[in-house]
Amino acid sequence: MKKARKITDGGPRTPLRTHILIIIILVIWLLPTIGLFVTSFRPIQRINTSGWWTVFSPDPEVKQADGSPAATLTLDNYIDSLMGYRGTKTYRAECASGSPGIGLTCTARDLLNPRGMGIAFVNTLLVTIPAVILPILIAAFAAYAFSWLDFKGRYFLFALLVGLQVVPLQMTLVPILKIYAQLGLAGTFWGVWLFHTGFGLPYAIYLLRNFMGGLPRDLFESAYLDGADHWTAFRRLVLPLTMPAIASLAIFQFLWVWNDLLVALVFLGGAKPVLTYQISNMVTSMGAGWHLLTAAAFISMLLPMIVFFALQRYFVRGMMAGAVKG
Amino acid sequence: MFKKSKFWAILSVVLVASMLLAACATPAPTAAPQPQPQPAASDISCEGVTAGDQISMLYQWSGQEEERLNAILKPFVDACGVAIVPEASRDQALLDTKVQAGTPPDVVFWGSTQLKQYAEKLVAMDALGVDAANYADYWKAMGTIDGKLLGLPVKADIKSIVWYSPKAFTEAGYTVPTTWEELDTLVEKMVADGKVPWSMGMESGDATGWTGTDFIEDIILVKQGPEYVDAIIAGTTPYNDPGVQEAFEIYGKWAKDEKYTIGGAAGTVSTNFNDAINKVFSTPPEAMMVKQSGFAAGQITTTYPTLVYGEDFDFFQVPGVKGLQGGADWGMAFSDKPAVKALFAYLASNKGGEEWAKVGFDLTPNKAGTTTYEDASLAKKAEMLAATTGFVADIGDAIPGFGVTEFRGVTDWVNGGDLAQILSTIAAAQAEGTK
Amino acid sequence: MAASFLIFKGGKMASPRVATVMKQGKWTPWFYVLPALIIMTVFIVYPMINTVGLSFLNKDSSASAATTCVEGEACWGALENYRYALTNEINTSTPLTAWNTFWTSSYGNTIKWMVFMVAGTVIIGLVFAVLADKVKYEPLAKSIIFMPMAISFVGAGVIWKFMYNYGTSQVQIGVINAVITALGGKAIPFLSQPILNTFMLIIVGVWMWTGFCMTILSSAIKSIPEEVIEASRIDGATEWQVFMQIMVPIIAPTIVVVITTMVINTLKLFDIVYVMTGGNFGTDVIATRMYREMYSSYNTGRGTAIAVILIILIIPFIYMNIKRFIQQEAIR
Repeated sequence: MKKARKITDGGPRTPLRTHILIIIILVIWLLPTIGLFVTSFRPIQRINTSGWWTVFSPDPEVKQADGSPAATLTLDNYIDSLMGYRGTKTYRAECASGSPGIGLTCTARDLLNPRGMGIAFVNTLLVTIPAVILPILIAAFAAYAFSWLDFKGRYFLFALLVGLQVVPLQMTLVPILKIYAQLGLAGTFWGVWLFHTGFGLPYAIYLLRNFMGGLPRDLFESAYLDGADHWTAFRRLVLPLTMPAIASLAIFQFLWVWNDLLVALVFLGGAKPVLTYQISNMVTSMGAGWHLLTAAAFISMLLPMIVFFALQRYFVRGMMAGAVKG
Repeated sequence: MFKKSKFWAILSVVLVASMLLAACATPAPTAAPQPQPQPAASDISCEGVTAGDQISMLYQWSGQEEERLNAILKPFVDACGVAIVPEASRDQALLDTKVQAGTPPDVVFWGSTQLKQYAEKLVAMDALGVDAANYADYWKAMGTIDGKLLGLPVKADIKSIVWYSPKAFTEAGYTVPTTWEELDTLVEKMVADGKVPWSMGMESGDATGWTGTDFIEDIILVKQGPEYVDAIIAGTTPYNDPGVQEAFEIYGKWAKDEKYTIGGAAGTVSTNFNDAINKVFSTPPEAMMVKQSGFAAGQITTTYPTLVYGEDFDFFQVPGVKGLQGGADWGMAFSDKPAVKALFAYLASNKGGEEWAKVGFDLTPNKAGTTTYEDASLAKKAEMLAATTGFVADIGDAIPGFGVTEFRGVTDWVNGGDLAQILSTIAAAQAEGTK
Repeated sequence: MAASFLIFKGGKMASPRVATVMKQGKWTPWFYVLPALIIMTVFIVYPMINTVGLSFLNKDSSASAATTCVEGEACWGALENYRYALTNEINTSTPLTAWNTFWTSSYGNTIKWMVFMVAGTVIIGLVFAVLADKVKYEPLAKSIIFMPMAISFVGAGVIWKFMYNYGTSQVQIGVINAVITALGGKAIPFLSQPILNTFMLIIVGVWMWTGFCMTILSSAIKSIPEEVIEASRIDGATEWQVFMQIMVPIIAPTIVVVITTMVINTLKLFDIVYVMTGGNFGTDVIATRMYREMYSSYNTGRGTAIAVILIILIIPFIYMNIKRFIQQEAIR
């Protein structure tokens, strides 16, 4: 049964079977996350004793410290994560009984306490934004050179580029830290920015080169005929046309830096905590407190997802149309 | 083209703004808030320390544990005005990287193998002027490398104990065994009554298997004694000695069989060690006993906050054990700043020991704390520790680089591997570590 | 157009020269490329050389690896760490045991990961990118596939605990085992059963990384000129033909890039295995083995040797990429 010709922008003629296939894949993908989402609203006493799909039929035998039945759903995991609560009960319970933990005052100021997510959120942003912009900037230039400029050793350098992506992170830590210690960069933001730039460059150049190299020659030839040089072509022609690739790169680099823990700890230190550090410290060395991770994972996921959504506008078809003639 | 110049303008503003913000932001130490300097308490010495001196620390404790450490250090911080800049991580890569790159923290609280690993870089305790009179000889022996005491044991736990529910025991008519044979009989009786005697859980990420190695070492302590264990640690008795083999087989008999432990072999290797503790105290209980270190008390009270120590949960020493297996976290110093000297002096002093016991951050090897425990279960453990004559370390803690091979070997054994081969692999690692 | 064909003065390369389209100065390319080269040399090339050097030394880098040789056993001198890295996991007593132990060694597992994870992520990513392209709710659909990447391993470890958990008697808190036991079957310990566990971990890997492939392939698909697709549809091609015969060939270079990147990611893959099984029960991969040698066994020599082996394994893919690079430029 052949469907009639359809346009590609999802008009009313997209066949039902496509929609069904997409929905099936989406449900499969969402299922594991749903488990985490539901669990993040359950109190610790229930998490270990029953599956998350029983959330709405709670066992009345499961009790809290004061003997009353444990709640079915609770916001405590989220609140404790945000405040960086480290005690054995919950933030709200301790404030209600008038004995907050060290450094906490049960007022709104607690959002900025050194163990909470407030300050860590700002720190992580400060680490991430330059660490995304710098490598993309430098990589764009280098990728353009690999695509449309000629110089000795292009092939060798490109081969090196591909190979450098495999170098494991742990191997670079000690040599770089030694250099930083001598230059006084250890524990500074510049140290982290430079490291993330260095480590992200091979892949960034690799990806961008692929896109830039695939642009049609006629583009450049007509630009040259119009009197443009490489610098103009780069700025006015190549960069805008490579936006989808740059957007992809921005998303990945953002994610990689946002979710990184080891590099931030080694080069920035615990004095300027990042989000991942605060989250990893919610769990004791014996594993107690892991229920807070369920909520923390969602809180920390919010911004990367927003970035992903926001950059979707660059994934627009048809940027090439009219470019050659223009 | 769309408004590109505006886009670049915004981008550069954002970039510059964030860089400026970062450069000008002052670091906020995540330690306890800066206290007002007070005249030094008479029992805490702050020689040479000026208010505001910083100590950078690295330890594995986070969450509730870090709270307790802060409570213990509070008197010291208040008295001397020291600012602690802590980092908490369980990642060995972080510690190794910092030490190898030449930028170690001033003070590190980590395991005893690190004393041997970093022996050349550590500052010895006498160089810090620490008086170790409050520590038993076996602690000092454990921390002495090449004749120098390189660290101070700060947080100890004993391992040779079994947790059970007194209520469940009385209901079923069981009594606490005092010899190994009685334990064996009790286990068989439980099986005959249709109950599962043991709850075992080895799963622990990359350290999966450590509960098995603890259990096996306790069996060795029962059957062979503490000198035998010390010989293994020294490398004079190889790991594939018949005595060790026997212990593996006794353990395997229980760990691999559904009759004796929940879920049999699959249950043992897949169950998380914390979950295994919970199963003895659930309603209804899935098993009768779990052999686990002292920290189990904290786990039980978190999951079942209504249970009462002494009635609903209690522990007894592994019956017939000659000596006691235990472990400690060690404080070690990479610098000899006056603040660091004062910190260690505090920890080793009577006041330090008492504070530690009062806060109840597990046991303190500092003898001054033996009578100041507020928590009943900790007090009982402290008595056991004080009464023992043959204290031995966990073999995996005592030989550098050996632990992970031992863990994997035990896991393989329960999962059906060949015992002779497993033991020789572990013996090879032991030989390397004790060279 | 011949007028725009300029040969670089003084060039002498034997490989096919790229036709320079526009006039360029002698130093122009270096302005573009130098910042990147300098940074990469400091941050990656220098540590890499350092790593190779360390791989010839012993566990604390105090003497040559030759000093770690054990009497009565094979010894490769300064390459002793490599001998350990390559042969330690494999039982060579009979060809059969060698074959079996190879497939549960870190090398065998890494091969499994490379084949199944790369195939899974690229194929599903490509198919989904094409499908999502056709619907109005595309950004939402793509976000859901991308979400696992954003969750990071902190959350993902907990998520999959709730999927794979093996409860021991009455209560199951893992979804899959709950379904199995509800249907009357016996619960399966997914993570501790050899062979099965590696595939369960690969499923987690595919779940996490498909969003990555989908994103890049989606941007490639958007760059396919509209007219080409419309023209083929007018000619009567079915959707499948449009996909296989028009779209795929056009984005073939990007597919190569995605495959290469996924191979590299799989070779470096560490978190998933480390957090979920620690490399136990026969799930070891090269990266977890490297980590364990470095930070649990404190053996720098062996750890770095394994890292070097990892780097060597990528060489065939480098070759493939350079060939494509030259091909792409020749037809331009």
